[in-house]
Amino acid sequence: MKQSAWYSPPFVVSLAVLLGVWWLATTAGAVNTVLFPSPQAVWGAAVELYRDGDLVSDLLVSLRRAAVGFVVGSVLGVGIGLLTARLAVFGQALHPILNILRPIPAIALAPVAIVWFGIGEPSKYFVIAYTVFLGVWLNTDHGAAHVAQTYIRASRSLGAGTWREFFEVILPAAAPHIVTGIRLGAALAFLSLVAAELTGASAGIGYRIQEARQFIRTDRMFVGLIELGLLGAMLDLCFLQLSRRLVHWEST
Amino acid sequence: MNMHEVASKTDRGVGDVLIDSSAVRYSSGGKLVDALPPTTVRLSPGSFTAVIGPSGCGKSTLLNAIAGFVPLSDGVIIVDGKHVTKPSPDVGVVFQQYALFPWFTAAGNVEFALRRFGMPAQERHRAVLSALEEVGLADRAKSYPAQLSGGMRQRVALARTLAGRPKVLLMDEPFGALDAQTRLAMQELLLRIWEARRTTVFFITHDVDEALVLSDQVKVMSAAPGRFIDSIDVTSPRPRSVEQIDDIYVANRRRILRLLRHSDQTETVEAASNPAHSRH
Repeated sequence: MKQSAWYSPPFVVSLAVLLGVWWLATTAGAVNTVLFPSPQAVWGAAVELYRDGDLVSDLLVSLRRAAVGFVVGSVLGVGIGLLTARLAVFGQALHPILNILRPIPAIALAPVAIVWFGIGEPSKYFVIAYTVFLGVWLNTDHGAAHVAQTYIRASRSLGAGTWREFFEVILPAAAPHIVTGIRLGAALAFLSLVAAELTGASAGIGYRIQEARQFIRTDRMFVGLIELGLLGAMLDLCFLQLSRRLVHWEST
Repeated sequence: MNMHEVASKTDRGVGDVLIDSSAVRYSSGGKLVDALPPTTVRLSPGSFTAVIGPSGCGKSTLLNAIAGFVPLSDGVIIVDGKHVTKPSPDVGVVFQQYALFPWFTAAGNVEFALRRFGMPAQERHRAVLSALEEVGLADRAKSYPAQLSGGMRQRVALARTLAGRPKVLLMDEPFGALDAQTRLAMQELLLRIWEARRTTVFFITHDVDEALVLSDQVKVMSAAPGRFIDSIDVTSPRPRSVEQIDDIYVANRRRILRLLRHSDQTETVEAASNPAHSRH
């Protein structure tokens, strides 16, 4: 598996081309800059937001929500995923419920969360944690349920007990799926973050995009979108590096 | 303390396997499948038995039953007086696809088997190295399975299984995935180790030469539902070598090949005559 680093020439070139085309299209008058702002305008809006202090405070508020939701959702997802995969009682009891919950999108859940938890932080945590949980659970459950039979047979015939089998065989065998689930969970945290902030929030990147819509400030909206894109990409890169180290035997 | 001495002392004279009218039947899509018809065999302590037969004849099912991986639907399997109901470290298994844990190093894999003895860490560490040394891989202790060749992986797997000091060693086509040259080297290695330890071995293979070089006794199985149709005592003296070919060898080889060919033919004849039967 080869992946170009952020500083690699192809990455820089593709970014430069994108910026170039964007700049040309907006300055040549090919598009309506009220609807599709120029890169300079977006930069200006970013500086403006930074001077107001909103850029940093929104970022921190959003990151905090994403982080709390991500951690809670991941811990529950891995824990319950291992239980549903390895203990028949849990699997039979929870699989149907979770499969019905899975298709419900975060955005549909946000209004319910507000009714349940109010417009404060808990409703945001809930929406994000819920979305992350389902993604992580699904992958963990699948990984831990499909551990190669020969590993389990080898472990048992080598005299390992239930606990050693769980921690030294099932957990590492499922680790590649769990790590994939957690990486997906990080992406889901950002997706559901915006869903959670679009209604009933007074700060955060999602809220700022929503606010900018009321003033048709597409330049400010773009700042938010680019922030989300960059944050998500950076986070994914971190998780990719981390997962390579964690499940090193998978990539070789 | 030398681990090999301890191992050979405790292993000698045990590893008595009694397979008595053992059958494995399971239902697949509402149909009962006879994976193993009632089979009775005894593996005497310290013997090396090779089993050869066409694919799907049930020889792997028999091995899995001795290992305690699949339950019997009839009969019993008794190892040293104990009924086999689940996997036990007394019965070691070497799998065709190695089944090494890719998240552990070679040393970590061997250590996994040693953990059941509860010895001090330092002693365990020494035992790991001596087990790897026995298969000539002491210098690859820190390598992960993915960094090793197929032959090396199987050597680590052998070291891991032997480290658990099993009384019985089950091997399911262990060298089937290796190239011809590596396979010969592995056979030499196994001969050397086995002739020093004399663990009871049950060895499944497709390779007539491999069966004759390694074993005391070759049991030939028919096509499914597999039954033992012949048993050939291999009287060639030990220590043996993979290059050693004598008259007994040639005669045995011819006999087994003829049986296998015949067994394939009956399979074809039965398959061809089945439609005719169903018309009645």
